Amino acid sequence: MPSVSSLAEASELLASAAADGRRVRLGDDVTLDGMASVLEHEAGDLTCVVEAGLRLSPLQVALATHGQRVALDPPGDPTIGACLAANLSGPLRHRFGSPRDLVLGVTLVLGDGTVCNAGGKVVKNVAGYDLGKLVCGSRGKLALIARVSLRLHPLPAMSRTLIIETESTAGAVAALLRSQLQASALDVLHPGRVAVLFEGSERAVDAQIAAARALVGGDAADEDVWEEARRRQGEALGRLRFGPRDLRNTLSTLREAVVRPAAGVAYVPHRVSDVLPARVRRLNDAIKAALDPAGVLA
Amino acid sequence: MPLAPTVLAALEQAVESGALVTDPAQLATYDCDGLTGWRAQPACVVLPASTEEVQAVVRACAAADIPFVARGAGTGLSGGALPVADGVVVSLARMDRILEVDLESQRVVVQPGVTNLDVTRAVEAEGYFYAPDPSSQQVCTIGGNVAENSGGAHCLKNGFTVTHVTGLTVVLPTGEIVELGGKALDPDGPDLLGVFVGSEGTLGIATEVTLRVVRSPEAVTTLLAAFRSLDAAGAAVSAVVAAGITPAAMEVMDSLTIKAAEQAFRPDYPAGAKAVLLVELDGVAEQVADDTKAVRAVCEEQGAFEIREASSEAERALLWQGRKGAFAAMGRISPDYYVQDGVVPRTRLPEVLRRIEELSREHGLRVGNVFHAGDGNLHPLVLYDRAAGEAERAKELAELILAACLDAGGSLTGEHGIGVDKACAMPGMFSERDLDVFARLRRAFDPQGIANPGKVLPTPRLCGEVPGPYRVHPLERTGVAQRF
Repeated sequence: MPSVSSLAEASELLASAAADGRRVRLGDDVTLDGMASVLEHEAGDLTCVVEAGLRLSPLQVALATHGQRVALDPPGDPTIGACLAANLSGPLRHRFGSPRDLVLGVTLVLGDGTVCNAGGKVVKNVAGYDLGKLVCGSRGKLALIARVSLRLHPLPAMSRTLIIETESTAGAVAALLRSQLQASALDVLHPGRVAVLFEGSERAVDAQIAAARALVGGDAADEDVWEEARRRQGEALGRLRFGPRDLRNTLSTLREAVVRPAAGVAYVPHRVSDVLPARVRRLNDAIKAALDPAGVLA
Repeated sequence: MPLAPTVLAALEQAVESGALVTDPAQLATYDCDGLTGWRAQPACVVLPASTEEVQAVVRACAAADIPFVARGAGTGLSGGALPVADGVVVSLARMDRILEVDLESQRVVVQPGVTNLDVTRAVEAEGYFYAPDPSSQQVCTIGGNVAENSGGAHCLKNGFTVTHVTGLTVVLPTGEIVELGGKALDPDGPDLLGVFVGSEGTLGIATEVTLRVVRSPEAVTTLLAAFRSLDAAGAAVSAVVAAGITPAAMEVMDSLTIKAAEQAFRPDYPAGAKAVLLVELDGVAEQVADDTKAVRAVCEEQGAFEIREASSEAERALLWQGRKGAFAAMGRISPDYYVQDGVVPRTRLPEVLRRIEELSREHGLRVGNVFHAGDGNLHPLVLYDRAAGEAERAKELAELILAACLDAGGSLTGEHGIGVDKACAMPGMFSERDLDVFARLRRAFDPQGIANPGKVLPTPRLCGEVPGPYRVHPLERTGVAQRF
């Protein structure tokens, strides 16, 4: 499988595909394995700019030496570009959001080879259309994501996990969300368990664990449960969305699932069809036609 | 040129009786937003009361190819709600109902004319709040916040409007209604919510907004630290961040702003302070206590000569008073002022502030600096006297300040928007190709080009054939690799 190793190569590849009338499936027909560098890391600004072919694990290793991380922990070890294109997130989504909440700017290559930038590398910026968010979830159909500028977070001084085994996971979740505790991750491992991650100073983490136990019970546990949550999420075949209020009802229809209750997202072992309304689909088609009129990106 | 009678009739039919304004005296109140230097008289103002009425209005505009501009409270600072001369203004003022409070989901569904603060008021008794807090929050509307992706002092930790919008009903410029997102996050497909929020009324009109509200923190502490120099305050900001602390807010005022605030409100800031740093910490009690201790230590290390701490609501209000009233206070020491909204990477703050001081001296005009230091969002206030003929010089100075922000790798605007004010400056931040891609995206939503034309992107009519004052593009200067 061909891999491009520079922005210029990516642009040339798509331009020539457009000229020849060829279609290109990003990730299948071409990879960005050769574009895997950290271009900039301004530790004092808690920002970095990376090539989109960079995988999460080497990025996290590089950032950790500065006591920082990108607060994204999806299953596996996807590239940053894949995180955006497939809108991948993991348990930390609870507190830190999805890729769209962490992307500050992008360099894109359109289907005809046009290179364009949107956003920037500052954490606050409302100049121009936010194409960095637009391509999140676009599955490679709108543009090739070549470079990404990201917001970073400090690594916490410490973290501890609490597991609550209960028949009423929805009740435990409601109590935790209603409380003033600030969890970094809160998953329902359906059926029967709620996992909560607290991060911060040692004193604050201990206090939160104690307060959470007083509220909903449970026992301190090691961090393996997050590996389990990620693994099960990665093996899931479908994703359900629900209003967070409907957690109990949603769980009652499922045999097993990994659920992010505050987001209203459940990863389930069966396929779920895409539920975009027809009018949203039409708008997506119009955007696709505007950015990739020749339909190069399949 | 007035609208054709058939168009007026169509608009009249689109909305309830009395919801169409054509009287010139009444129209005059809509001729500008918070950026009062730009004015234009619309042909009419319509005040629809529902999504369907907005749709009917937009369809009437589309059928006649008449431009329309959506308007909330008109408090925007970049001319985003400036009418198109002889076009239609769509005021969302009548759509001011809170439709649903669903605290189990931590969501509130509102119409666009609801004010920002009313969202918090609807949920605060239950211990929740709506996090984005632009300083106009008592009057500015959620519809306007969505259009501008509004921020505020407390966005450092909680994020901007876009972080808190989970669903939208939008009337597209074609007249089609689309529903984006909902109460659940992570909708399928490209992030349309993310591109719509902050699109400044150019991609359609939001008629229903689902917002995420946040549980109030267990503890809040506000610290005020006084420094002998602006540099020292800036160094303290960097040191707080380096310590791994994410405050809820981190604000700096310089000596000129302190002076103005003292004259206006007597907040009684420490005597001799050349810069004041406000840091607000919130969260679980133990974390706030630990962070407070750490921030105090950092400030002392960086030379703070007095630190005050507020933990009651009343004490906190006192510390914030000078900061929140800073813009208004400038009126006491200068007949006119011009606010900028540039952003720089936090680590470049000291050098950019020094550059601003230089520029201020060169132009013989005072510049007050009050800024969201935590996210590098500067609000330099260029003081001038229009009557003394200083307006042109002030504008030039303001433009050079923005250029300095861009040179430092920053942005033209952190929260006020591009609007009409900075449209001609866009080529300083984006290449022609970038802008062309923006224009293509815009046409996908608005093929006729009738939704808030003349805003966000530079046009020859607005900017002349020669793009604005930022001719040298960073892309050309430093090569693609450095460009972002």
